[in-house]
Amino acid sequence: MENIVAVKEEDLQYAGAARKMQRQLVRDFYRQDVTKPVVYLFVGGNPAELLRALGFQVYMPEITALTMAIRHQSLQYILKAESIGYGLDVCGYVKTDIGLTHLSGGETDMGKIPRPDLLVCNYSGCSVYAKWWEALAEFYKVPLIMLDIPYHRFNDPQKEDLEYIIGQLREMVEKIEKLFDLTFDMNRLKDVLAYSRKAEDGWGRSFEMAKHVPSPIDAYFESIFYMFPINALRGTKEAAEFYDLLNRELDERVKHGIGPVENEEFRTVIEGVPPYPGYRSFWNMFKKWNAVSVAATYPKVGGMFDIPELRHDPAKPWESIARYSIFSYCNLSWDFRRETIKRYLEDFKADALVIHGIKSCRSFTAGQGDLRDYVINELGYPALYVESDHQDPRYWAEAQILNRVDAFFEALRMKR
Amino acid sequence: MQEKYVAGVDVGSTTAKAIILDMDRNIVGKSLQNVSPKVAEDAETAFLKACQDAGIDREKVVLITGTGYGRLKVRFGQLIVTEISCHAKGAQFIFPKTRLTLDIGGQDTKAIRLGENGEIIDFSMNDKCSAGTGRFLDVCADALGFSVSDLGPISEKSRRPVKITSTCTVFAETEVSNQLARGRKPEDIVNGLHYSIAERSISLMRRVGIVDEITFTGGVSRNTGMVRALEDKLGRKINVSPLSQWFGAIGAALFALEELEKGSDPKFMPMEVKQ
Repeated sequence: MENIVAVKEEDLQYAGAARKMQRQLVRDFYRQDVTKPVVYLFVGGNPAELLRALGFQVYMPEITALTMAIRHQSLQYILKAESIGYGLDVCGYVKTDIGLTHLSGGETDMGKIPRPDLLVCNYSGCSVYAKWWEALAEFYKVPLIMLDIPYHRFNDPQKEDLEYIIGQLREMVEKIEKLFDLTFDMNRLKDVLAYSRKAEDGWGRSFEMAKHVPSPIDAYFESIFYMFPINALRGTKEAAEFYDLLNRELDERVKHGIGPVENEEFRTVIEGVPPYPGYRSFWNMFKKWNAVSVAATYPKVGGMFDIPELRHDPAKPWESIARYSIFSYCNLSWDFRRETIKRYLEDFKADALVIHGIKSCRSFTAGQGDLRDYVINELGYPALYVESDHQDPRYWAEAQILNRVDAFFEALRMKR
Repeated sequence: MQEKYVAGVDVGSTTAKAIILDMDRNIVGKSLQNVSPKVAEDAETAFLKACQDAGIDREKVVLITGTGYGRLKVRFGQLIVTEISCHAKGAQFIFPKTRLTLDIGGQDTKAIRLGENGEIIDFSMNDKCSAGTGRFLDVCADALGFSVSDLGPISEKSRRPVKITSTCTVFAETEVSNQLARGRKPEDIVNGLHYSIAERSISLMRRVGIVDEITFTGGVSRNTGMVRALEDKLGRKINVSPLSQWFGAIGAALFALEELEKGSDPKFMPMEVKQ
């Protein structure tokens, strides 16, 4: 934890424990030996459990890309991708990944990103994703399996939608068994699903903790670190154990009344993908105003695990994987996203909404202007919109963003 | 009673403005200074010039607020407030019925919606580029061989304003050259530029809601052609003052005065008390 207030060190058993373990998990992940076939998946709504059960090592290029951006290393890869013709407006994740893996051999200061043996495009709602995986299939000459996930049209997915997805998942497993001479083991899948569920329960509980006043956690800036296990390692023992530890740390913070800032003054809900190239600076802009994010949509980009019903389930393996795939954040209807923001503002006793839009992803950002209007005009909460990019530091204009953030909190404080 | 004053210093991207107020809220001194890379020095020069204009020693100024992009460079000041709050406050001080402020400065445009008591209800700013701002007009004026202060009078001669779709500052020169090459008259190009910026600014104003009264502030508000284009597109009159460029500094000085009235002791006031 970044800013623990004055509490005697000896009273705190878990201070910083979750962040320390998260760092170790990241290090171990990128330094692991490649002993199995490698599959690339997307974060949102992926069938990682099936691939793990089949014996694959799972990688997500989005996570590698954002890790590069937060370490201020994304631009060199973006420029490499642009040098072979990728345009300025193409998604920063795509360009960072292609610049890093295909054009630079996957060597990073954290370890080597292995080449894929298989590509599964588990979310086709973003057409850029589909094209990205097609490009990788062409570069690496490896099989590409593309799933067609129905849009989240109803709060509760329809039976036909689930059957449609389950049919594709079964077909995918059969194809992979043949392609890689592997045998699918349902018992192994159930073990993996049990670990997923345990991690999801723990992660879901950590969201609820932010209802405390003061909040023991910054549910955006801090939770972004804690997303790594649920997204990169979901279905493993390590991920399940991580969230146990996180909750122990949060319980301890609540017990001592400590939070990410010394005197919580503003409670915000944050929507949107973070500006990873300016992540620390952006966080500091909020800390300066004693503003804490108490709920955020982005940490649920892999799955809406704040909804207790959305869990992987060893008792319903196919159905729970299919249901999860629909609840990828980008696949959610705007009705659902609006209701989610409303619920967060009310349930977490928030003062305002902050939206961070990203230039190179219209899939995530389209509609955020309407969301701002809805929150201001219909719900009566103040809302701030700022924009940069999740990967490309050329869009990070610090003075301009600082000005907007300062003016926003200044106005909130003056109204009090 | 000892003679006391407060000051507001607005350090923008192209100019620094300073205002001196007496305790009765009268403007007794002002200055305008171009900004160089030595921003801190320019800020102080602007402040000293305003003191000189007021005919007072700097020691008489007991509280100073810094605002604008260079607000952190007002190191001789005690308060820091963003120019969004300051422009709004300054506009409402001069035009008390102001409910919407449009500020077009050197590198950004802001629409600020205000409540009856001066509280900021909402604000919206241009995208992170200087398209359609004062800098864009500067570059266009250069390309046409005019001074920026000529743009208003020149545009009055226009009969058929040219439709300009790109207000990108980087491509401003090529846009102007292209229009000249097509035989367009300079006055029609200038007028077209004003209408193009007006449309862009009105779109920003719509995001926060267009309500009367509207006050136009910032350096570009001195351009009569710009005022005319905005009034034409909005279909209503807007407030403009010869002091519009100083509204940020006026607001800053008013914040300083209010702090004094609250009984704060400037000696112990942290620089970022507002933040």
